[in-house]
Amino acid sequence: MRLLLVEDELDIQHFLRRSLEEAGYQVEAASDGKTAERLAIDGAFDILIVDLGLPDQDGITLILRLRQLGVRAPVLILSARRSVDDRVRGLEQGGDDYLTKPFALAELLARVRNLLKRNNPRASEATRLRVLDLELDLLRREASRSGQMLQLTPQEFVLLEYFCRNAGRVVTRSMILDQVWGMRIHPDTNVVDVHIYRLRGKVDSNGQQPLIRTLRGVGYVLKDR
Amino acid sequence: MSSKIASPKLHSAAWRISFWASLAFAFGTLLVFFFLQQFVEQDIQRRSDAWLSGEVEVLGNVATRTPKDTLYGRVVGEVAELAGREVPNKLPSENDTNDSVFFLQRGSDNSLRLWVGAGSGQDTLNAISNTTMIPDQPTDVRVKGFGIPFRVACIRVDDGSRIYLGLSERDELRVLRSLRIRFLLWWLLIVLFGFAIVFLTTKRMLSHVRRITEAASRIGHADLNTRVPTTKRNDEVAQLALTLNRMLDRIESSMHQLHTITDSLAHDLRSPLTAIRGKLEMSLSAGNHGEQSEPVVSAIEELDRLTEFLNQSLDVAEARADALRLTRTEINLDELLRVMTDLYEPSMADKGLQIRLHSAHPITIEADASLIHRMIANLFDNELKHLPAACTITIRLQNDEDSVSIVFEDDGPGFSADVIPLLFERRVKGKESNGHGLGLAFIDAVARAHGGTVSACNREKGGAQVNVTLPLMSGLNNGSPIGMVHAAH
Repeated sequence: MRLLLVEDELDIQHFLRRSLEEAGYQVEAASDGKTAERLAIDGAFDILIVDLGLPDQDGITLILRLRQLGVRAPVLILSARRSVDDRVRGLEQGGDDYLTKPFALAELLARVRNLLKRNNPRASEATRLRVLDLELDLLRREASRSGQMLQLTPQEFVLLEYFCRNAGRVVTRSMILDQVWGMRIHPDTNVVDVHIYRLRGKVDSNGQQPLIRTLRGVGYVLKDR
Repeated sequence: MSSKIASPKLHSAAWRISFWASLAFAFGTLLVFFFLQQFVEQDIQRRSDAWLSGEVEVLGNVATRTPKDTLYGRVVGEVAELAGREVPNKLPSENDTNDSVFFLQRGSDNSLRLWVGAGSGQDTLNAISNTTMIPDQPTDVRVKGFGIPFRVACIRVDDGSRIYLGLSERDELRVLRSLRIRFLLWWLLIVLFGFAIVFLTTKRMLSHVRRITEAASRIGHADLNTRVPTTKRNDEVAQLALTLNRMLDRIESSMHQLHTITDSLAHDLRSPLTAIRGKLEMSLSAGNHGEQSEPVVSAIEELDRLTEFLNQSLDVAEARADALRLTRTEINLDELLRVMTDLYEPSMADKGLQIRLHSAHPITIEADASLIHRMIANLFDNELKHLPAACTITIRLQNDEDSVSIVFEDDGPGFSADVIPLLFERRVKGKESNGHGLGLAFIDAVARAHGGTVSACNREKGGAQVNVTLPLMSGLNNGSPIGMVHAAH
């Protein structure tokens, strides 16, 4: 997967590049709009990450220009601004995504993945999910571990489903709140942790190998190996 | 914020202005017509009096000169009959007999000497005898059997007798009546016409004012680039519109400036925060999740708290200046509170707290989803952080015709007395609180930005109460009763 990163702050560019490469992407980076335009036209990229505050031009102008030039790859917009520009909303509706700085790396990676997935949708949606010995029946809303049925509330099932769909990858509290509860809030209390704690009590009960791991300061991960 | 522009016709200014203007006009014209009629009446009276005086003199002369023989009655009668044909304002009477004029000669012994006219001469003589007559001045005399009085002139003849000539006022009254009817009809027509003209003109002028009001009320916090409609005319209303628009230009420019400041402040702080956070995360993912990672973890958590604090501070600052930018969507508060309650219930239960939600039916408002979500999360966070174990939180969602209230009540210790007057100030918090002291200031800011209010107090029964009231009808709506529709669900 080839990825073009357009970010003028070198500090941010470096750590983004490193973590994106660690996640398995081939990253090209540009620090200004001109370079970005040249690179985007020359190389076929699968996805673009564009910061809005570029030194030589506005990020949205760059994106619109690239679209005019026939660049079809989805764009993840990064912005440190407070207000979401109407043009950004337009792009969002056009299938691109938007992330406010500062962000968790896990969230950036998840959004990049989602954009790529949206671009190549799989033909059929699975009705069963399986992670190690954990099995979810999405139609009957039932979960079992090692053949043992788990007594989950509907909310817990949705949470576990989200974990299974992202097995092996870090999910943050903000991502969980956004995806499971549909809210972009940042509570300064441990509301999400308590839900995870309860879910873990049901999934990882009586001496089984713990599946849901806490990465402190980062988020959670459902082990898939 | 929401303005009710619905105006029934009878309460509109156009109606009032044209009503009072027409009333004054009607009164004025009525007065003019009254005096005009008075003048015409006097003139008619004067003319008929002149005729009577002239004729009675002629008859007196004739009576004096004619020898008092058998022909006397006939000669004088003929002359009187002829005079009756030249009556002024004469209208043809129903029958051929001339009942509008009479001639009467009274002897010095008060006997009826000669009578020419309709009806009984004796009745007329009696009537005349009962009326004090002034010589050379016609007088009104009411005769039995005649509804309408006669105008009677009198002259004294040499032989001591008196000659009376009477003219019925019937024709005169008829002329005056027809004049009055015509006057009244014209008056009514003119007044109605005047009313219509004043009403239409003021209505047209005021409809422009109305359009200005409507446009001005549509211009909410976020929608400052709209302008009120202007016209090419250079009247007071056009001036009003221009002045309003100039004022809006100034407000928009200072808003824009404020946004530029908060945007660049946010940008300048968020960029280094992003770099720091990224580096911290990189050092974590390097694989050392052991003891050494603890400071890094808490640094990331502090950083996230700082970011949230920065966001809320800027939101509060912008809301205080009525410059918070809103992206309104439909939000079902009932559903939102249920989801939030589900989200917070486990944490509350862990702390030994109970939540009760009382919400009867869906209530939808048009509001900024992100801000409303964060506001309600803040309300929950406040309860979760500050309540001791074994307390109960009661959340009520209720609405009346044009507003909706979200009430958070608890049976905890309540707000401490020293912070109550300062609850909505930034950085005010209780001594034991570990928050950044923005909570209620942020809640207040969000409510204000949506045209609502927040009140916080200690309940009489003990415990704290926070009441957020939001208008059902958003400030952006141009008077269309969206809120009503939702309330009716």
